[in-house]
Amino acid sequence: MTVLFVVIAVIVVALIFDFTNGFHDSANAMAGPIATGALKPRTAVILAAVLNLVGACLSTEVAKTISGGFFDEQLITAPLILAGLTGAIIWNLVTWLLGLPSSSSHALFGGLIGAVVVGAGLNSVHGWVIVSKVLLPAIMAPLVAGIAAALATRLAYWIIRDVRRKHADNGFKYGQAFTASLVALAHGTSDGQKTMGVITLVLIAAGMQPADSGPQWWVIIAAGLAIGLGTYSGGWRIMRTMGKGIVEIETPQGAAAGAAATATILASSHLGFGLSTTHVSTGSILGSGVGRRGAEVRWSVARKMLTAWLLTLPGAGIVGGLAALLAERGEVAGVIALLVVLAAACGVIYHFSRHSKIDHTNVTASHEVKVLTSASAARLPGPRKIKKTKSAA
Amino acid sequence: MKIDWNALLMVTGVSIVSTVVFVVLLAIGIRMVMVSRVQVKQGGTGSAALGGGYLAIGLAALLVLFGIYLIVPQFH
Repeated sequence: MTVLFVVIAVIVVALIFDFTNGFHDSANAMAGPIATGALKPRTAVILAAVLNLVGACLSTEVAKTISGGFFDEQLITAPLILAGLTGAIIWNLVTWLLGLPSSSSHALFGGLIGAVVVGAGLNSVHGWVIVSKVLLPAIMAPLVAGIAAALATRLAYWIIRDVRRKHADNGFKYGQAFTASLVALAHGTSDGQKTMGVITLVLIAAGMQPADSGPQWWVIIAAGLAIGLGTYSGGWRIMRTMGKGIVEIETPQGAAAGAAATATILASSHLGFGLSTTHVSTGSILGSGVGRRGAEVRWSVARKMLTAWLLTLPGAGIVGGLAALLAERGEVAGVIALLVVLAAACGVIYHFSRHSKIDHTNVTASHEVKVLTSASAARLPGPRKIKKTKSAA
Repeated sequence: MKIDWNALLMVTGVSIVSTVVFVVLLAIGIRMVMVSRVQVKQGGTGSAALGGGYLAIGLAALLVLFGIYLIVPQFH
């Protein structure tokens, strides 16, 4: 009975994480086309949602590990997974509230690492892996995608220099819509798997399905639907930062950014160097701004995002660790307490987001994501985000 | 554990080259289609420019298809 309860709790929370993963990363594919008007906001998120769902169902090989090499997988128990997922969800929601595109994978790894450290000590974490899999890619991804986008943007504007803009834009809009669709499909195949992997591991650990077996059909469908629904809900706050906050995106520039993001994501996933979709997409938009003469790149926004990327792993880790302290305290009681805290934290963050609602109607109306009507997101000092989370946890 | 610099270099090269190829093809295609329309207005046929333009756009579309091939595991 206890086991069943914990398993159900993990499945539900894993699907919630999958949902936040979807709406956090919706902007990776669709911020560009929405900002240039290549796709209408509603059309864009429906397209991305369907492609994410299709992508999640396509992937034949579900991630066998959820640790990513960061820690010893044998140390992880169902309550620790629950704590890790809680850390990842809360971090995703806080960064969403601030309109910051941060990596959902890093949030998941961070949350799990934090939980494992609390459960099994600091020595169980492999520090070098964090450097090579988090720090280096976080710097490389925007660089690679950014250089590609900058070069392509510069060349595109040179080639069409004497074509009337209105005529040129239509062609580039098609290019942008297609590359954005590829990003959404690729996202479904990679991120849809993570949640399936987590749920399958828990089911195997609980003896409810044989070891080394793939995910059940209902796990595939549930995970695909969760990430698809999350994508459909749009994550408009992040959409605004990426589409409007970094730089004003013109259509040829948007096409270059989309192509750069697509090429970098596909190249890195097939040549064995894992780059985060979020970092790649942001970097390509940034690069396309650098490549277009006269474009004003808001470097303050870029710096804020880089900080958020570097803070994601430790930040989600701290929340995951705190959650683990709670979850480890007595089997069922701890799990119930954790679920209550998670629900409360979601409620608080949702409440704050209502103060400055951003949705498909006003996503491109401004470039700023405000949390409180009086203070802009930029003026919220860093430590306060964590404090707010802690008091909620 | 070591950083795989080779993979990193490959990713950098392939990403930049394929991005530039796609966008340049698209831009050339758009430009040539526009050039052909101007030629038609001036009384010419514009068919050479139109054909070249559609060829460039078609090649860009092939790259998109290759992208789908890479993403869908059932294809390889």
